[in-house]
Amino acid sequence: MEFSDWELVQQCQAGEMGAFQELVSRYHQKVFMVILGFLRDREDSMEVAQETFFRAFRKIKSFQGGSSFYTWLYRIAVNMAIDAQRRSKRTPLEFRESMDGAFEEQNEVAKDPFSDLHDKELRENMSRAINALTAEHKAVIILRTIEGLSYKEIGEILGCSEGTVMSRLHYARKKLQVKLKAFLP
Amino acid sequence: MMRCDDISEVLGAWLDGQLRQSDAEEIRAHVAGCPSCGEERRQLEGLQKALRATFQSASTTIVFESFWRGVERRIHQKRSWYEDVRRWVRDFWAPPQMAWSVPIAIILLLLGMFTVESFLPGLRPRESRNNFAAVDSIDAFGRNVAVLREDESKTTVIWLYLNQEGEDESSGETSESGRSF
Repeated sequence: MEFSDWELVQQCQAGEMGAFQELVSRYHQKVFMVILGFLRDREDSMEVAQETFFRAFRKIKSFQGGSSFYTWLYRIAVNMAIDAQRRSKRTPLEFRESMDGAFEEQNEVAKDPFSDLHDKELRENMSRAINALTAEHKAVIILRTIEGLSYKEIGEILGCSEGTVMSRLHYARKKLQVKLKAFLP
Repeated sequence: MMRCDDISEVLGAWLDGQLRQSDAEEIRAHVAGCPSCGEERRQLEGLQKALRATFQSASTTIVFESFWRGVERRIHQKRSWYEDVRRWVRDFWAPPQMAWSVPIAIILLLLGMFTVESFLPGLRPRESRNNFAAVDSIDAFGRNVAVLREDESKTTVIWLYLNQEGEDESSGETSESGRSF
């Protein structure tokens, strides 16, 4: 029998560790990917993702089910990723090298579903352009592109209206288009 | 009827499928007949494709068991209150969060200075603390004056004995007590 997220949360609140493990198994990959979108470094992202679940575990008794569990979890993840990024002293060069490493490893492990886009220069510049976005703009781009969340869900995670999400996405995309004008088709 | 500028603002939301059916239909009809908006749509789709490719090319499948071990270790690890405070301070004092404190600190400093000036004048450092007073004899009768130097450019001379009668008496006293100002 498969429990819903809310049922698992209630079991966690009753002290059932197995229920929390099940929640982690459901969302660890997604949370990791969102954080990787911000930090662009696998090891740092792994640390922050684990810390995100630890923080969720500590706060889960205060979760009342007002929003969906993953919205609540993503809110913690986004805040932690933004904090980690602010603390990070990475230079653009280190950032780029980290991304290159990610590409190479991915090519060894599995085939890229978008393997027709092997323009390394475009990806490098895209990474740099994303990195230059403000935290708010980066968050909407990541949550929309990686997770495919609706504007309503993104608004719940970031604590803003759907209209604000739409506006932020519009301006974030405009900025990316300007920076990548020479590389986009 | 929507203009091209209006369309541009919601084109991304339309491609994301986040508009109401009626709005989406109006935009679809406009874009189909407008070369400029059609070109913008093409560029936006290109950007979206490149964005997805960038994120997905960096994606990595992580092994749950090792991930869970890291979470479990954190849960069971006894963190001292010192560690919690240290983390809180580290997060709280990160420069972006503390940006608000700079103008507040300046305002508090100015308010503090104003308060000291207005209500506690005794606490204010006084330049006159460096002044000095001296008693000098300036004539043959031994009449004394107090010389008060308030600053480098201002010197006040105060005659200590003005009337003749008093002067005589005081002269005697003065001669006895000397320069006892």
